[in-house]
Amino acid sequence: MRNLISLDSLTDIVSNSVGILIIFAVINLIHDNNKTFQLEIPLEHSTQLSPVFFIAKDDRILALDTDTIFSNATLQATSGAAASKRLFSLDFHDLLGKIDDENGISFYARDTQSWPKFNQLQKRNSELRNSMSAIDGQKQFAYFFVYDSSEDGNISGSGFEAFREAREFLKGRSVKSGWQPVNSEAPANICDKRFRGGCQYLPSYLGDG
Amino acid sequence: MAMSRATRLARYPKEEKLEVSLFPFLSIFLCVMGVLSFINVLNSFSAPQKIELTAQLEQGYKVAYQIFSLPDGIISVPPVKYLDKLRDAVDGIDKVVITDILQRREGAMFRLERHSGPVMGLATEPDVDDILQAMQDIRTLNEIALKANYLYEEFLLFGIYPNGSQAYQKIRDVMSFTQDAASISIGLEPLDANWTLNLKKKTN
Repeated sequence: MRNLISLDSLTDIVSNSVGILIIFAVINLIHDNNKTFQLEIPLEHSTQLSPVFFIAKDDRILALDTDTIFSNATLQATSGAAASKRLFSLDFHDLLGKIDDENGISFYARDTQSWPKFNQLQKRNSELRNSMSAIDGQKQFAYFFVYDSSEDGNISGSGFEAFREAREFLKGRSVKSGWQPVNSEAPANICDKRFRGGCQYLPSYLGDG
Repeated sequence: MAMSRATRLARYPKEEKLEVSLFPFLSIFLCVMGVLSFINVLNSFSAPQKIELTAQLEQGYKVAYQIFSLPDGIISVPPVKYLDKLRDAVDGIDKVVITDILQRREGAMFRLERHSGPVMGLATEPDVDDILQAMQDIRTLNEIALKANYLYEEFLLFGIYPNGSQAYQKIRDVMSFTQDAASISIGLEPLDANWTLNLKKKTN
């Protein structure tokens, strides 16, 4: 007589699981409709800390090396390439720049392929992780220019998710961060208080204490 | 005479060992994992999450004036909950001023709550005069509360939706040119596209 495998227990388990699923689905749908989540938002505040600038676009984050950028911009300006608010190459990760009195130096991000992805924050010794880990929370805070939309055809979405991940990473290191949304018409810019009184970059309170 | 192996085995049967089949346990384990995964997927497809903005480390007397910035404009949600009590705590012209502001805000909230379509359809292009009026109202209320030694302070909270930065920038530009906004605390947060607003009438 051949030994047959009995499927009774398996059938019993599957049918009970399906029943549980249906009950959970109904409970879940009924339960969630009126729930409101309170979203806690940190407030901007003045600080003596100096900002370290980043641009978050799509799923990429670029740390702005202001020394390199400003010296490249100065070279372009002295050669006349930056006159009349023209766009010029900053020779830094495919960024274009523009100089005017009101906005200071504006950064136009075209191609972000050379920028590190935000998931590199989870990888040890990655360029992005090292640049964020190098921020001294006692003297500096991180300031993000976050693109609020994605390029056509890019499924990564806006820079919001990348910014949130970076902010959480910095929060774990007690480094404050601030941000402002930008877009291709109103891009990231570093202005000068001497020319524009409202020019300021402020952190929000995202740290312990 | 040497005993054959078969005879030995027949005469001395092996002790029956108790064998536990792991099949039922694995089945239940996999089913539970499947159920949890299904619940997780279900949560992601559930109705849009309603959100309400509050300030981190908010002290009890600070009240948020919420502004949501969308691609089509802004939705302003002014606070009205505690203005009755503030009005009761002051006299004279301050009482009249608060009544004025409260009526204006209640009218705005009534229009928001009466709206029957999607909440996001309420967005309107930010008007400079409206922005200036809102800043002036916030500053006025804060000054009245301070003068009356009453614990009440309003501040601005911006919720920025994807593609909503243009409207937000316009408001900040207007704010940078008015002294009324200089003393107002500001917070801002990026919001996901599937987060909707809670415009339910608040009760004390």
